Formats: sequence, C-alpha cells, structure tokens
Amino acid sequence: MELIILPLILGIIAFFLPTNWVRPFGLLASLSVLAVSIVHLMNFDPANYVLILNPAEVFPLGLTFKMGYDGLALVMVLLTNAVISIILLANWNREISSNARFTGLVLLMQCALLGLFTSLDGILFYTFWELTLIPIFLILYWFGKQDNNRALFKFFLYTLLGSLMMLLSFIGLAYFSPNFSYFQLVQANFDGKAVEAAMIMGGILFAFAVKIPLFPFHTWQAPTYTNAPMAGTMLLSALMLKMALYGMIKWMIPIGFEGLVYLKWPVITLGGIGIVYGAIIAMKQKDLKTLFAYASISHLGLIAAGIMLFTVSAIEASMVQIINHSIVAVALFLCAGIIEDRLNTRNIDDLGGIAKVAPHFGFWFAVMTFISVSVPFTAGFIGEFVLIKELFTAHWVIGITAASTLVFGAVYMLRAYQGSMFGPTKVTVFKDLTWNEYAVFGILTLAAVGFGLYPQIIIDFIKPSIKFTQELMAGDLTFTKK
Amino acid sequence: MGKDLLLLTLISLPLIGAAINGVLGKKMPKLIVGSLATIMVFVSFLIGLTLFSGLDKTTIVHLFQVAKFDDFTLDANFQIDSLSIWMTLIITGIGSLIHLFSMGYMSHDEGYHKFFTYLNLFIFSMLLLVLGSNYFVLFFGWEGVGICSYLLIGFHYNDAEKGIANSLAARKAFIMNRIGDAGLLFALFMMLNKFHTLEFVEIGKMITASPELYTGIACAITLCLFLAATGKSAQIPLFTWLPDAMAGPTPVSALIHAATMVTAGIYLTVRSNFLFELAPTTKDIILVIGIATTVVAAFIAMRQNDIKKVLAYSTVSQLGLMFVALGMGAYTVALFHVTTHAFFKALLFLGSGSVIHAMSDEQDIRKMGGLSKLTPITHITFLIGTLAIAGFPFLSGFFSKDEILAHAWMSSPIVYGILMIAVTMTAIYMFRLYFLVFHGSFRGGEKLKSHVHESGLSMTIPLMVLAVLSVFGGILNLPGIVFHNAGHWMSHFLESTTYGLNQIETEHMDGKQSIILMCIASVVALSVMTWAYITYVKKQAVAKEDADMNAWEKLSSNKLYIDELYQTIFVQPILWLSTTLGSQFEQRVLNNGIFRLTSAIEASGNYTRKWQSGFLSSYLFWMVMGIIGFISYYIIKSTFWN
Repeated sequence: MELIILPLILGIIAFFLPTNWVRPFGLLASLSVLAVSIVHLMNFDPANYVLILNPAEVFPLGLTFKMGYDGLALVMVLLTNAVISIILLANWNREISSNARFTGLVLLMQCALLGLFTSLDGILFYTFWELTLIPIFLILYWFGKQDNNRALFKFFLYTLLGSLMMLLSFIGLAYFSPNFSYFQLVQANFDGKAVEAAMIMGGILFAFAVKIPLFPFHTWQAPTYTNAPMAGTMLLSALMLKMALYGMIKWMIPIGFEGLVYLKWPVITLGGIGIVYGAIIAMKQKDLKTLFAYASISHLGLIAAGIMLFTVSAIEASMVQIINHSIVAVALFLCAGIIEDRLNTRNIDDLGGIAKVAPHFGFWFAVMTFISVSVPFTAGFIGEFVLIKELFTAHWVIGITAASTLVFGAVYMLRAYQGSMFGPTKVTVFKDLTWNEYAVFGILTLAAVGFGLYPQIIIDFIKPSIKFTQELMAGDLTFTKK
Repeated sequence: MGKDLLLLTLISLPLIGAAINGVLGKKMPKLIVGSLATIMVFVSFLIGLTLFSGLDKTTIVHLFQVAKFDDFTLDANFQIDSLSIWMTLIITGIGSLIHLFSMGYMSHDEGYHKFFTYLNLFIFSMLLLVLGSNYFVLFFGWEGVGICSYLLIGFHYNDAEKGIANSLAARKAFIMNRIGDAGLLFALFMMLNKFHTLEFVEIGKMITASPELYTGIACAITLCLFLAATGKSAQIPLFTWLPDAMAGPTPVSALIHAATMVTAGIYLTVRSNFLFELAPTTKDIILVIGIATTVVAAFIAMRQNDIKKVLAYSTVSQLGLMFVALGMGAYTVALFHVTTHAFFKALLFLGSGSVIHAMSDEQDIRKMGGLSKLTPITHITFLIGTLAIAGFPFLSGFFSKDEILAHAWMSSPIVYGILMIAVTMTAIYMFRLYFLVFHGSFRGGEKLKSHVHESGLSMTIPLMVLAVLSVFGGILNLPGIVFHNAGHWMSHFLESTTYGLNQIETEHMDGKQSIILMCIASVVALSVMTWAYITYVKKQAVAKEDADMNAWEKLSSNKLYIDELYQTIFVQPILWLSTTLGSQFEQRVLNNGIFRLTSAIEASGNYTRKWQSGFLSSYLFWMVMGIIGFISYYIIKSTFWN
C-alpha cells in the first residue's frame, strides 16, 4: 500500500516546500518511490497475485476496494516510476522543476497512475482513471502555452466523453457480476448475450480509444501535445496512453471476451488506418512536436491492433512495444524540448545545421531517431517484428498495412532529424547538452538496447498474467483463431 | 580454442574496435585509431582463414535465446559452413584492405575516428548477416548494414556545397532499402507460420524431406525474398539509390556499395536456394529482372561523366549479371562472380578514390586526362581492374563472366545474345572511362595539375594487392577444360551448401563450344578496347557537354529519367496526400465534427446547469474527496483496529 500512499504524501509535501528545495526533493521523492517498487520486485514471484489492499467484506454498491498486482501490473508500476524519475531528471535544468506546484502535481499523477495499475476493482479502476486527469489537466493549464484553452477544452471534452462511456459500461457490468472485484468481473457470465457484452465493452473501449488515441478519435492529441510543456507531453505520451493499452489487456479482454468478437476487426482496422494515416501526416509536419504526435498515433495504432488479436505472442510483443514506446516518447519529446528550450522554435523550416554547433546533441538525437525507427538492438525491433508477424498471420492485408510503418517511419523520422540537425546552417548558437540531459539519453539508450537484446525479461514477467488469453482462446467456441 | 569461441571472437572483434574508437577515438592519435580498426578486421580475417582451413561439416553455434514467444523462438545462433566462411573471407579480407586504404584517404578528415567506428560497425553487421544460422540473425545484420550504409553515405553531411545532397542520398538509400526489408519481413513471417523455425538447416531439411508440400508457399516466400534482394542489391525497381550512394567517401563505395553489402541479396538467394529451387516462377522473374538491370545500368553508365557514377552503374549492371546466374539456378557461379567482382570492383573504386584524392576531390572525368604519368601505380592497377571487368582474356572477370555466359548459352541463345550486348557495353564504358582519365592531355587547368600526386603507401598497397587478386582470381574456379580434374574448385567447395544446377559444371558443355564462347568474349573485349583506343586516344575525343548530345546520349546521361518517374508516381502523390490529410481532412472533417458535437453538448449543458453547479469542478472534486475518504477510512481501520 505504501506504493500508492508514498507519492501521495510526497506530492502533498512538495506543494508546501520552499522553491530551492523543490527540485532535489522531487527527484529524490520519485527515486524513493522507484526504490520501493524495486523492493516489491525483489520479493515478487510472477506466478502469483500480490494483494496490497484486500478487505474481506463487500461495500455498498458492490465496491470491494481490492488492490494488488501481478506481473503485468508490476511491469507497468515499474515503468511508471522509472519514467516519472526520468521526466523529473530531464527537467532538472529547466525552470519548471523548481516549481512546487509542478513537482507536486507530477507526484500526484504518479500516485494516480500507480493506483490505476494496481486497482483490482472496477470502480476503483474507473476512479483512478479519472483521477489521473486532474494533475495532467492542471499541468497543461498552468504550465502550457498561454492561449491553449481551445486545445485544452478539446482534450477535456474527449476524455470526459470517454470516461462517461466507461462509467456507463461499468454500471452495465453490475448486471452480470455480483460485485466489482476484478476476480468476479473476469468471471462475469454474459450467458451468451454477446451483443450486450459487445455494447458494454464498446463503452470501455471508447474510453481507451480516445486515450490511445485511435483513429479517428485522435484530434485532441496534436494540439494538446503542442501546447503542453515538455513534461506534460512526456507524461501524456509515455504514461497516460499506456493506461488504455494496459486496460485493454488487463480488463477488457478477460472480462468481455464474449463481446469482443464483434469489436476485434473494427479495432484492428482502425489501428491499421491509424498506422498509415499518422505516418503519412507526420511526413509533412513542420512542428517537431506535432510530427512526433502523429508518429505516436502510428506507433500506437500498431500496438492496439496487435492487442486486439488476442494471441499470446501478440500481447507479449505489445508489452515490449509499450515499454519501447515510453522510451521513444520521452526521448523524442526531450529532443524537441531541447531544441525549443534553446531556440524558442520547433519549426523544422527555421532549424538546420544544429549538429555542427552542438555535435553531442546531434549524436544523441541520431541515436534516439534510430531507436524510434526500431533498428536492430533496440526493443522496438523485436516488438515490431512480432506484432507485424501476428497481424500478418491474422490477415495478410493488415500485415502489409502494418509493415508500411517500416518505410514511412524512416521517412518522417529521418526528415525530422536531417531537417533540424543537418542542412544549411541557420542556427549558429546552440548550447550543447547539460549533464542531466546526457544522463537521460544514456539511461534511455541502455534501456532500449537492453530490452532489445533480451526482451525475454519482460516476457517472462508477464507470461503468467496473460495466460487467460490462452484459456479464453481454448474455451470460447464463438471465436476461432484464424 | 574451439570453433565456437573462434567464431564469436571473429564476430566481436570489429564490434570491440567500433566501441573503442567510438568512445575514445576522438582523443587518440589518428594512426592508432586507424590501425586499431584495421587490425581488428584483419585479425578477424585470419581467424576466418583458420576456420576455413579446418572446415568440415556444418557447425551451429548457439549463443543465446533472444526471446521465446508463444509458438516460436528467436535465437542468436551462428553457422559455420563453406558459404558463410567464404563470405566472411571476402568481407574481412577486402574489408581490411579498404580499412588500410582509408587510413590514407581519410587522413585529412576531422571525422576520422567516427569514420572508422562506422566502418567497423559495418563489418560487424555484415558478419552477422552472413554468419547467422537463421533468418532472424540475418535480418538483424541486414538492417544493421542498412544503418551503417546510411551513416556512411551521409558521412559528409556538413560539407558546405554537397552536405544537403549527401544527407538526401543517405535518406534515399535507407528508405529504398526499407521497402526491400519489408519484403524480407513478410518472407520471415511466412516461414515462421509454415515451418515454425527460421533455421536454415531445419527449413532445408523439411523441404528436402517432402518438397511437394511446399511448392505454393515457396513461390510466395521467394518472391518476398527477392524483393528484399532487389532493395539491398540495387536491382530494378529499387536500384536508383546506389548511384546516389556514391555521395559517401570513396572507400565506403568500394567496401559497402561494391564489394560486400550490395552482394547481400545474392547471398540471401544462395542461402535460400532450397526454396528457390521449388519456385521456377520466381527464378524466371529473377532472370528477367537480372537481364533488364544489367542492360539498363550498362546503358546508363555509357554517358556518365562522374568517375564514381560510372562505376556505380557498372556495379548495378554486374549485380544484374549475378542475378541472371541465380535465375538460371547457377548459385556457385553467381558466388564466383561475387568474389571476382569484389576484387576488381573494389580495386576500381579504390583506384578512383586515389584519382579523386590526387585531383583534390574533383570527380568529373571531363576535367581529367593524362593521369597515367602523374599517378603511375594508380594507373597500372586501374588498368588491370578495367581489363578484368571488361573480360580481357585470362583475368579473373573473364572466367567468372564466361561461366555465366556459358550457362546463358545453354539455357537460351536469346539470353546469351542480350547478355553479350551488356558485356559489350561494359567494355565500352570502362575503356571510355580509363582512356578519358589516364590518357590524352590534362583538362583540369594548370593550377589543379600542379597538385596532382601519387597517393601514399597505405593507399597504393591495397591497390596492388587487389590488382594481383583481380589478375589471378580466376584460378579459384577454372573451367574444366583448362585443368580437367582440378577445375571448378570453388563450385565443389560450395556444393555442400547449394543444390540447384551445380551438376552442370561436372557435365559441362563439350570443350569445343566452351572454347568458341571464350573466343567470342575475348574478341569482343579486344575489339572494343581497340575501338576505344582509337576514339579516345588517337582521335582525342572528349566527353561531350550536355548540350551537344544526341537523343540516346541524353537518355543515358539523364539515367533514363527513372528518378523523375519515381518522383512523379510515388513521392509526389504521397506528399500531396500528406498535406491534404493534414490540413483538409484533419481540420475540416474530423475537427469540425467534434465542434458540432461540442455545441450540442453546450446546448444540453445549459439545460443541466440548473441542477448541477460548476460542471468540472464539482464533479471531480466530489469524486476525489470520495475516493480519498474511502481509502483513508480503510487504511485507518485496517491499521488500528486489527
């Protein structure tokens, strides 16, 4: 339980600290939470569930307040804690990191995310899902661009609509399950009412689709990213999107499998469209952040489509890819942030020749570019390989569509890199990297290469958690694997 | 040391070299950086020789399991057999010579240590590609060499004049290669689904056990494999990146874009020969594409005026010739040509590098001429390379080309006829190049002439070694009529790893036919040489300026307008789509849709506001309070009352 309480308490403390204490406090706080989760990791056996909150009785309205984690959730917990630390580290040389409100909100965000990943109760899951909105919304509102109300409104509207649907779905689920405990929900008996199940799952899926975001629910993303401060974009892209993907694997598939038959191909199709659509739009974007936002639609379309295949390999690869995408998101938005920080612009047309004046940044941006186009020795290589393979096995059309990311990804990423770093020297003064930026790039590279060489470490962890997929596949008659 | 340890050392030495130079290279003296990189590759070559001499049966070295998924595993395994070791010898052998050459060639470059880091990294990736025992490791290396190629083509991205062009060329190469890579990926998926393994040996076993089961899938797989090969080995339709890739430093062109990486497609095909043997349709397609590429590229090469562009199109054309051999199922013959081509094309590229170095980075042959006296060693070695590629009797290129032509003659006289046209064109553009550069009078002006000098030893030694190899390389696979029993050593050596048409060597056509074909080839080479000598030396003809060209020359000089064609039918539409989707569809359709919805909600909001105070704040506030309350209630309860 200390896993969730600790960031909450630390976050509240952060609000009241004097300015010059905030920065070290924030980093130390996030590192201590990370340390706590590593202690959890040490004592963890992937085969079991660890319950951190387990009241025996059932509360009114079927609430159970169960919390705990399995391998899958623990991976997400560790990812959250690591990414939060990295985000704070990346912001070390920026003014924002000395802001008490900012640091406090990031820690509260961490608390909400950890709560979400360890929820084992439907309503609790929904509540944390909503809770994450508050800190991110305030970060965007307080620290984003001044005239970003329209973008914020769009973001809020979308997520609100999604949440509403999710709430309705959970209420609907109450008819099929005695209470909201995860363990009861996964045994929810739809009695062959597949259409009802599909409708209920559709509601949850809508919330996920908005957050991922799946085409065509993505229009909030680019303006929100563009207007957000660097840390906000990183939080959104590296962590908040992952809530939805995690939700799909952990909640949606096991609970509503009967209904998902109807949703499988529609979602895969939308994912496939997203892969191509995001990539094509990214090709001509001038703002680096917008470009990376569309790239993200492309990458996540692939993961979402992969998850909806419901095969064990695809879900394992999705998890590898989820982690990889977090690395890539932090990396790319840091690069964009560094450029914006130094030059007050992110427009590729105004950039050029940076590699000459800041060779170290040139080198690390190149490394990050290669990581994001999934070259060998990076986690994305294995993840993409298996995901596209599974899609190709399901149907060759979607396989070929997905494989286009191989080519298009290279097109837009190399254009972004070469356009800003090479070419005519338009930039003459550019402060090269600071120590914390070096550290972040170094950590991210190590992680990407480590998971690229030995992704098995992730797979071993989550294998027992996603066994259900196999069982579902074997047990369900209405659904046949192609 | 056991074989497996030797193999792992062989692979990891270049990686270690890259790591040391990458991290510390900037602070080390250039001599140490260059020597370290060269020695790493050379020691790998020596280890390769050791393995080569102790070669018996196929050995698999298991390193570790990368990942185990539900129904398949991805393993880091390596394979020692005649094919992989042969390729290793070419890569590390030619590789160390080119490393040595680069020590002189790049000596004035500020990115010296970076260059050697990339070069070593390339060797490492290439070794992964040829030594992997399954398609997954092969794919690893395949992508790896693509990245190194990208880095090295765009090496001079900071160049004041050509910087942008260089990085664009690098990008083009990477993207076009990735199109091919997608093909390889599909082939891998199909194999995984059909065979549940990617090990060469396993798949080979399954196929040879019951070939009739796999004829359909073999066709699909091989087509995808061939798509990959067209990307890496620059065949139609994916060949336009290779000439642009000449933007890289010349040693790179010699190593990557002539001797090793571009032959990866041929290696892939030979490695998968058991699949190709089941797919006659694919083989026919390969044959046709190979013939088309060899003719088209030779045609374009005839009127190029950049010394490296001529050689680049020549490479494309020669690779086409190798694919012709593959299309006929003559795998070992293709590898023979890969080998001799690696000798003489590396020689020619390094020679051109020596010329460019001497000419203070001038690459236009219209400004050269009469270099034979100024750079004697470069001249002699370049002449040897020219003679070898043009098929001058008894040099290496003569024998390897003759094998392909002989197979063509036996399969169909038409194929033979077309190939002869290509061979003639090869001789024409090579002798044109040679005479324009080394004979006649110097056309670059007095100022430039005073700077022209012969290159240093580190550059001329590799030239001389390669020249010797280009002369005697043919000995590797002499036709049966020369030494009746000792002939075709290389074919026999590689037999264990290939099936296909190798039998044809042993029952080679009768001596008479063979000798006639050789005579025809010699006559063609010699007469073209004489003609070129008369035109360019006696009549002192120089390369025409663009304005004076007639129709066919314009076609050749403008590369048949293929780049423009691709630009119009692929690049422009996609960019148009990108703009349209980004501005029109995104804004008008999707966004407007949302804002209609917004106004609808606002309208309903006005109604609800009556019984609900501040929409956002109260909603969220009470939720937060509720959750905090519940949690703290429960914690307090469980802590204190238990």
